Amino acid sequence: MSTLTDLRIAAVGDIHLGEDARGHYRKRLEGIEERADVLMLAGDLTRHGTLAEGRLVADEFRDLPLPVVAVLGNHDYHSDLQHEIAGELRDAGVTVLDDDWAVVECGGTKLGVVGGKGFGGGFAGKCASEFGEREIKDLVRHTRLIAEAWQVALKEVQADHRVVLSHYSPVKETLEGEPLEIYPFLGSYLLAEAVDTAGADLILHGHAHKGSEKGMTPGGIRVRNVALPVIGRAYAVYCLAMNGE
Amino acid sequence: MGEAPQYVAARVQQALAEDARTNELGIRVDIRGDQLFLRGQVSEPGQRDRLGEVAHETAPALHLHNEIRILDASAPGEDEHLD
Ligand SMILES: [Fe+2]
Ligand SMILES: [Fe+2]
Repeated sequence: MSTLTDLRIAAVGDIHLGEDARGHYRKRLEGIEERADVLMLAGDLTRHGTLAEGRLVADEFRDLPLPVVAVLGNHDYHSDLQHEIAGELRDAGVTVLDDDWAVVECGGTKLGVVGGKGFGGGFAGKCASEFGEREIKDLVRHTRLIAEAWQVALKEVQADHRVVLSHYSPVKETLEGEPLEIYPFLGSYLLAEAVDTAGADLILHGHAHKGSEKGMTPGGIRVRNVALPVIGRAYAVYCLAMNGE
Repeated sequence: MGEAPQYVAARVQQALAEDARTNELGIRVDIRGDQLFLRGQVSEPGQRDRLGEVAHETAPALHLHNEIRILDASAPGEDEHLD
């Protein structure tokens, strides 16, 4: 049972809307304002990252009766139109995070949301490092800079609760079900390390369609993989107790 | 000698990921003899059909079994309390 003192966070990722899906997802959102205080979208909102798909996604989430916060996923970058897609979403009233933070007033509280697409590289002990070829160094460095930006954002944001929204996973646990060989392409422990250092109440991500819903960082922060095929429903709802721990 | 089935499966999987009609990364492709199996889940029947189409074009000599499931994610589920 949810109580009045809960902050209810609806979340879903990897909806991968293509041109044939116009109106489909919107229908599933009917009544969401009764079930949740805010909706978070964990990236891979489009199939090919075209502008037409970006506009379609924007229309699906336009002017919903609750705040919507989103990050983009690798599919949304596929056509190099990520900035344009983010622009369409913002025009539709969606807050789009790009390695920064936003404060959403919802459920009578200030919710700080930090995040962005994130990136891969692997998990402690089994990951790439900033050594060798330029291409490998670039990959690891890219993830490291993202993690650093999130850590700064988590420290800067003034809010009662802090949630991290990502596309890539910060932990291995929520990848369970995916082939081990592709873990380095699914996330990076650097993201978890940054969030553990700065602190947060919850981390949401997508990307790993065959992964598992529930996991935890080494520091004990709850992680939820909200990829649509994982949660198997229109959106998941997570309730944070308002008066903290 | 025909090509090893592992390479054909890899090529089909690559095509499903890279073909603009599909761009689907999480589909499992298995080949047994002259049978090609696609498994996984997507949210649209149209996408399942396109995946079958692209797989068939990539390996036209194989008999296709499109076992991809359609995910019905219409209803919101139960809430989880994190306290
Ligand atoms: Fe995805
Ligand atoms: Fe993804």
